[in-house]
This record gives sequence, structure tokens and C-alpha cells, in this order.
Amino acid sequence: MKRRSFLKGTLATGAAVVAVNAGLLTPSAVLADWNKAAFEAKKVDDAIKAVFGTTATSESGDIVLKAPEIAENGAVTPVTVDATKMNGVESIAILADKNPTALVCVYNFSGPALGYVSTRIKMGETMNVIAVVKAGGKLYKAQQQVKVTIGGCGG
Amino acid sequence: MSIKIRVRGKVRGGIAEIKALMKHPMESGRRINKKTGKPYPAKYIQNVEVTINGTKAVDAQWSGAVSANPYMAIKAKANKGDEVVISVVDNTGDKGTAKFKLK
Repeated sequence: MKRRSFLKGTLATGAAVVAVNAGLLTPSAVLADWNKAAFEAKKVDDAIKAVFGTTATSESGDIVLKAPEIAENGAVTPVTVDATKMNGVESIAILADKNPTALVCVYNFSGPALGYVSTRIKMGETMNVIAVVKAGGKLYKAQQQVKVTIGGCGG
Repeated sequence: MSIKIRVRGKVRGGIAEIKALMKHPMESGRRINKKTGKPYPAKYIQNVEVTINGTKAVDAQWSGAVSANPYMAIKAKANKGDEVVISVVDNTGDKGTAKFKLK
């Protein structure tokens, strides 16, 4: 992939494209459990509601959200959510509040898994990364602003 | 076409950190092809599942906002020699599976 054209192309797109793309995103029938409504939600609250059924979150100091303060390349922003201090972590969702669709990924934990996720995400501009952790049936939130100098997600 | 996945994992103090690197374009469907003015068709991994010795540990759903050639790290209680299986499916139905024995 040509990096230059990739970045230019992503910067040129806008929110209006979202509607067009909705038609292009045709998940195959194999994917039974992909939360389409949540991933198409444009706003953070709508996405959280679609995933967890409520938007009632409380701040928690036990969530360690690691993201760079300044991301030179928004297309690969490393994000780590460490909720291993909390008991009974069921899910972790990562959202980026100004991306065309807010929800980036949702992780569900079971059996031997601990509440920890590290990944890399695309961010179109300077915005907040939000981690929502579901533990013991309740939602907890942590967020951090990331300054993006080059966009990376069609934003 | 199957999706290539590289898995690494190490156990320390009863907790394994499992890292996976996948080879995938993660095309969100929003990037515009300048020549045609149309977006490149969406192609991104939607589902990821990790099992340890056959027990489901993590299942994840991704959007096109996960970076190209995705990296993922998770932690789980495990022992040396446990078998980790990671399987992924993208929005076009392409699949990939990788197995790894924890060190």
C-alpha cells in the first residue's frame, strides 16, 4: 500500500461517506455475533448503549488506559486497557469519540482470561480514546486524549 | 484466502501474555480510491476468538478502525504447554487459525 496516497485518501473523506458505506458493509451470514448496530453507531453513547444496553458508566481509577499523548501516525495508535485490578471483568470496549463510527472493538472474556487488552487502532484526528469496562455487571469508564498529527481513519 | 496469524505467548507466575499479529489490510470501506473516486471495498476482521486448551477465553468483535495488520495482546491464567488457538473471520468470510503451545 502506498502510504502517501493512503493518508491523503483518508483525509479527504467525511462523515457523509458513512451513509454510503453502510450499504457496502455486508457481513456474510457466517458472522452471527457481530453487533452491527453498535459498530454503525456514530456517537459514543449510542455505541455503548448498543453494546451494553445502558450508558450508565462510572469513572474508575482501577482501569489503566495506556495511549500516547501524541500520535504521529493516527493509523497505528497503540492502546492498552488493563483492568486486571478489577474483579469479574466481563468485557472491554474501546471507542474513539470522533471517528466516523465510535466503536473500535469489543472484547468479551470468559474462563481463564483476565481483563487486559492491547491493540492498535486508527484515529482520524485528535480525540479521546475511551475504554469501557464491564465488571460485576456494572460499567466503568476511563478516557484519555490523543493528539493526532496525521490522520488515519477517514475522519 | 486464509488469514495468516502469528502467535507468541509466555507464562509468568501462572499468567500468560498471548500476543498475536495478523496479516490483513483492515480496509474500513471509507478510504477513497483517488482514480475512481469510489471507496475501496470494506475488508476487515470482524470476529476473533481465543481458546486455551479448548476453553473459550476471549472473543472479540472488531470494526474497520483496528489498524492494518492488527496486533493484539491478551492475558489469561494458563500453564506452560497449554495450547492456544486463535481464529479470526473477516467481513468477506475469509478465515484464519493459528495454534501455539505456551512457553
